[in-house]
Amino acid sequence: MTAHTRVVGRCILFIGLTCLAPAAGRAAEAVRVQSLDGAPVDPLQLPAGVKAAVYVFVSVECPVSNRYAPEVRRLHERFAAQGVRFTLVYPNPAETPAAIREHLKAYAYPVDAVRDLTHALVKHADISITPEVAVFTHAGQLAYRGRIDDRYVNLGLERPAATTHDLADALTQVLAGTPVRQPRTQAVGCYVADFAR
Amino acid sequence: MWPTSRGSGSARVALAVVVTLASLARARSVAAQSVTFTRDIAPILHARCAACHHDGGSAPFPLITYAQVRQHAEQIVDVTQRRYMPPWKPEPAGSGTFVGSNRLSEAELSTIQRWVTAGAPEGDGAALPPPPIAAGWQLGKPDLIVTPAEGFTLGPDGTDVFRIFVIPLPTSALRYVKGLEFHPGNLRVVHHANIRIDATRTSRQFDDADPAPGYDGLIAHTAVYPDGHFLGWTPGQVPPLLPKGLAWRLEPDTDLVIELHLQPSGKPEPVKPEIGLYFGADPPERTPTMLRLGKQDIDIPAGAAAHTIRDAFVLPVDATLHAVQPHAHQRARRVRATATLPGGQVIPVIEIADWDFRWQDVYRYATPLALPKGTRLDMAITYDNSAANPRNPWNPPRRVFWGQRSADEMGDVWFQVLTHDDRDRDVLLAGFRPKILTEDTFGYEREIGREPRTASLRDSAAMLYLELGNVAKALEHFAASATLQPESAAAHFNLGTALSLNGRFDEAIAELRRALALRPDYGQAHNNLGSLYRQRGDLPAARHHFGEAVRVDPANAEAHRNLALLSRDGGDLPAALAHYRAALAARPEWAPAMTDLAWVLATSGNPALRDAGEAIRLAERSHQLTGGRDPGVMDVLAAAYASAGDFARAAATAETALQLAGGGPAGDAIRVRLELYRQRRPFVGR
Repeated sequence: MTAHTRVVGRCILFIGLTCLAPAAGRAAEAVRVQSLDGAPVDPLQLPAGVKAAVYVFVSVECPVSNRYAPEVRRLHERFAAQGVRFTLVYPNPAETPAAIREHLKAYAYPVDAVRDLTHALVKHADISITPEVAVFTHAGQLAYRGRIDDRYVNLGLERPAATTHDLADALTQVLAGTPVRQPRTQAVGCYVADFAR
Repeated sequence: MWPTSRGSGSARVALAVVVTLASLARARSVAAQSVTFTRDIAPILHARCAACHHDGGSAPFPLITYAQVRQHAEQIVDVTQRRYMPPWKPEPAGSGTFVGSNRLSEAELSTIQRWVTAGAPEGDGAALPPPPIAAGWQLGKPDLIVTPAEGFTLGPDGTDVFRIFVIPLPTSALRYVKGLEFHPGNLRVVHHANIRIDATRTSRQFDDADPAPGYDGLIAHTAVYPDGHFLGWTPGQVPPLLPKGLAWRLEPDTDLVIELHLQPSGKPEPVKPEIGLYFGADPPERTPTMLRLGKQDIDIPAGAAAHTIRDAFVLPVDATLHAVQPHAHQRARRVRATATLPGGQVIPVIEIADWDFRWQDVYRYATPLALPKGTRLDMAITYDNSAANPRNPWNPPRRVFWGQRSADEMGDVWFQVLTHDDRDRDVLLAGFRPKILTEDTFGYEREIGREPRTASLRDSAAMLYLELGNVAKALEHFAASATLQPESAAAHFNLGTALSLNGRFDEAIAELRRALALRPDYGQAHNNLGSLYRQRGDLPAARHHFGEAVRVDPANAEAHRNLALLSRDGGDLPAALAHYRAALAARPEWAPAMTDLAWVLATSGNPALRDAGEAIRLAERSHQLTGGRDPGVMDVLAAAYASAGDFARAAATAETALQLAGGGPAGDAIRVRLELYRQRRPFVGR
């Protein structure tokens, strides 16, 4: 943990460089996350029949992240039958598999979960917030990265209801085979950078 | 935060490199100053944040230890710089400090920033100051703990929910309450609580009408702040115990009304708050007054980006300002209140430049502000009803009116003031009540326009109009209420009583008869019908109905007093005395019956019935109860002194009564008696 902290500390100082590193620059590196049982998982390798994969980055104690659980369930219900696979990603190494299983149960998530202990997928998809989503095409291309919708404008500033549904729009466009019109948006919530401390 | 790094393109890369170099330079200089968690950060967080951010506290995560804080370091910099946290809304106004002021200084903000930039070093972990939080009841063990009979389950989804719980308080005697501590029961979802006291059954009826625990709707008009004291809860704030002599009175058989502002968490959440009450032995010596300035005829056009409402009131007496609480909903952006002293000096009372309806505190002055007689209190609230306001409940925006629901708008600033004494308080209220009642009628007319078939709104509006002396408008609403609920005896009783106040005796009698046909044992209807018959000279009918009133309720003091008046007028003084004594047995400190009884005891033509000592005792107590300013009571007191042979005091008292009464027949009668006292003669009646 201590060594890790130092590495990330430097990452913070090189804030611009780290985050500007385009996903393509790392595409050659293997991206691996862990199942809750500890098995390595390649998140970019999608089985036949899965047209798109949505990775929802969440954390156990982040209130904004948790408040999105019902919306994630709704989107899963709407898009699963169309060949979209939803997976939760827990980027906080301090959150144990047992705590994650309890979290999945408490918020009634009907989807699989993985842990991103090394932030391999976080970096690959340029994720900085929970909740934030990354949508990959079957070919492994990052089609959308950002907020689920625009309900939160900032921490403490919330719309009564979302006015744009960025994730749903992106999925609709990916399934239609058209380019995603808004491929990058700013998510609002808790900072993934803090989880690495 | 990372947003500068978003996107691609050479301009962004160049910018990012500059930021990086600057960060490096800053990091080196800070490292030399070695800001550490233990020495520099923990004291700030423990003082400013830990009240909520501790294990089991109302915030979502603890911020006590280094391990806890470093997991949120970047976020802490962001939310403190934006002043989202700690949630302290008032601008530093210069009018004095508020208790519990939690605004971070520029130096504190800079220290936190420098610490995170330096890599968030811990320092000497062993030297960490102990966490400041004590578990359990912060004000000590309560004298009474209550909780709703049933908990409520908040659904997982959606935006803010408001739910009202009504808790009967199991007190059997008058209590003096010096403190109230609220425990939300579920810290994840309870965002704040409005607390009121309802001495009527109205809130309970609302609750009973909703099958689930608590009810969804509005706080009843009868649920009020007790004796001019704020009640409520926001995270991290525990209102202190009240000083001696400033407790509030809790009558037996009163309900506690708690409106919870709840924010869904993403999963179903059980909610069952607990409230601790602290009682003291000392009765209140002074009672604060709540001055609510604001508008209920709010009408904001759709799209208006800066719509301002204003209100003002000039204090008719000296007062001190102890606390202030603004209230508005989601479109409000800016709240200001000032006090303009008689000399013209303007004192800022409160300013909230970035209003957030989720953080509605009561702001208590550490040192009360002195407001001399003639001070003008002003308030102004500016709303943004445009699409650019993310909190706007409607998209696209709609025209909005006053209303208590969160999609409507409100705009009030409550000022809690204390006068020198109750006499000044009466003067203050006499000036203020008509103003606030008039404003309330605007609100009720708005609600009635929305819900024309809700009888309880009509009844409440009619009561306001009656107090304002507008009997015609009161009649209009009582008549509508009786039409809406023809089977309600109370509705016909109200209409009949208002008709009698308007001099429409025949119609009044008909309505009271309808009330009695629906509920034959309606004691007050018998009593009021008796009064109407007495006014028309039908004394047997009057006696019958007063008799019925005390038969169905032997503790009906008004009916006993009415029977006493009938007996006195009929010359049967022994019977009159018996009924006055029965009235006072039912209602021991009732000044009108004390005054009447004192008069008979002081002036009876039958010496066997006279008792000057008891007459003086009763009249002096009545004089005290009526604030020492009622000329009618003083006339009786003078007669009692004269009856005891104390003509000097009798004359002096009658002179003061004469001054207070001014001219007219009342004054003439006092003048005649004053002449007698000057001749050292008592007044003797029949």
